[in-house]
Amino acid sequence: MSNGHPTREEDFDLYVLGALDGDEKLAIESHLASCADCARKLAAARGRVAALSFSAPRVAPPAAVKERLMRQVRAEAEGRGAEDRSIAERPARGEVTPRLDASRGSGGRWWLPILAPACAVLLIATLYLWRQNEQLAQQVNQFRSTMIAQQRELDETRSVAHMFEARDTLKVSLAPMPGMAKGEVKVMYNSKMGMLMYDGWIEPPPEDKSYQLWVVPMEGKPVSVGVLNPATSDSAHWMTKVPAGVEAKAFAVTLEPAGGMPQPTGPMVMEGST
Amino acid sequence: MPATDAALIQKIIARDESALAALYDRYAGMLSSVLNRILRDTQAAEEILQDVFYQLWCNPSRFDPARGSLPGWLVVIARNRAISRLRRHNPAAGEEILENTVVMPFDLESSASQQQLLERVKGAMESLPAEQRAAIDLAYFSGMTHSEIAERTGDPLGTVKTRLRSALETLKRSLQSTMSGNP
Repeated sequence: MSNGHPTREEDFDLYVLGALDGDEKLAIESHLASCADCARKLAAARGRVAALSFSAPRVAPPAAVKERLMRQVRAEAEGRGAEDRSIAERPARGEVTPRLDASRGSGGRWWLPILAPACAVLLIATLYLWRQNEQLAQQVNQFRSTMIAQQRELDETRSVAHMFEARDTLKVSLAPMPGMAKGEVKVMYNSKMGMLMYDGWIEPPPEDKSYQLWVVPMEGKPVSVGVLNPATSDSAHWMTKVPAGVEAKAFAVTLEPAGGMPQPTGPMVMEGST
Repeated sequence: MPATDAALIQKIIARDESALAALYDRYAGMLSSVLNRILRDTQAAEEILQDVFYQLWCNPSRFDPARGSLPGWLVVIARNRAISRLRRHNPAAGEEILENTVVMPFDLESSASQQQLLERVKGAMESLPAEQRAAIDLAYFSGMTHSEIAERTGDPLGTVKTRLRSALETLKRSLQSTMSGNP
């Protein structure tokens, strides 16, 4: 650091990355708070570091999330009218407290002994209210997460019921390939609904590797269902959306680099035909 | 011609749900990829993905298109939340970035331009020595500090610092050549 300024752009990148420890982090933080030039460099570093996200294996965004999001937005819009009315009745957040003016009055500074404790009380009250506000904001976040989780559970329960009822739902057992990891996996798959349910267990993959489950279609390239990283050999059960309309001839689990790949590159670990 | 991010943000401020849906279609893939890579938990990744876009809906004016990049801003928020969850931090820890600016001098509004940057970043990552790539991976996708990486890998702290710095220099050069249009 030179005159407090980080000397190289990578210093900003390392800070944004979260790689700096203890004193190094504190030094850059205390400088950034008061240096507009470095704040601009920091914004550019955030962009450079954010580009690293593009090194992650591509995962298609689940359509179900968009559906839930838009339902959440509509539900919020419906409740907004009542909330807006209640907000309008509150004082504005940026409202200015009337300023005490020392030039007024003719009694000199006799009020200072009163004002000092009053300021202290006001400061304590402000800190208390700020803390309360923080706690409320955290509670709202928790409620929102709970609501999303409950909505998800409801959706999944409905989807499971539909899958079980549907005559065109495939039920396939995947058998381990000789010499590969042990496991027992069953999938239920409905191509029209674009839903797949996984039930089973598989030995944990080697470190720096992941398992990846694929739908092998009648025509075209395998479609990734998701990455499996079991930490233990315990049984797991989950359901996910896959692109609808893919007619499956088989399902396979392959061993891939950690995080998965766009197409299978590693050895087949399990396989099951329809 | 598709609406720009700035135009869609203005529509969200006017409570136009279709603008939010359009931004979801534009950037959810990018966010979904990084969230799944960090968390390796589809359900947790989906929850954060939904919440990031819901936050955008609730607070669109916190993002100023004149000062920064929307995809960069969304990625930073999503990564902060995912790392907080991964490391069992206070879930609100990632909120601090909401008021900050992320300058990302790439046009990422089309899937073609996203694909171009993806190939450039992947190429740059693959060109790094394996130890540098692993250090970047642990820092970006696991949120580890220098000393945590040194502890994990068993390498000296100074070596880890040099590796990360060298990797970031290489990546910066590669991204600068992307901006200038060089191969």
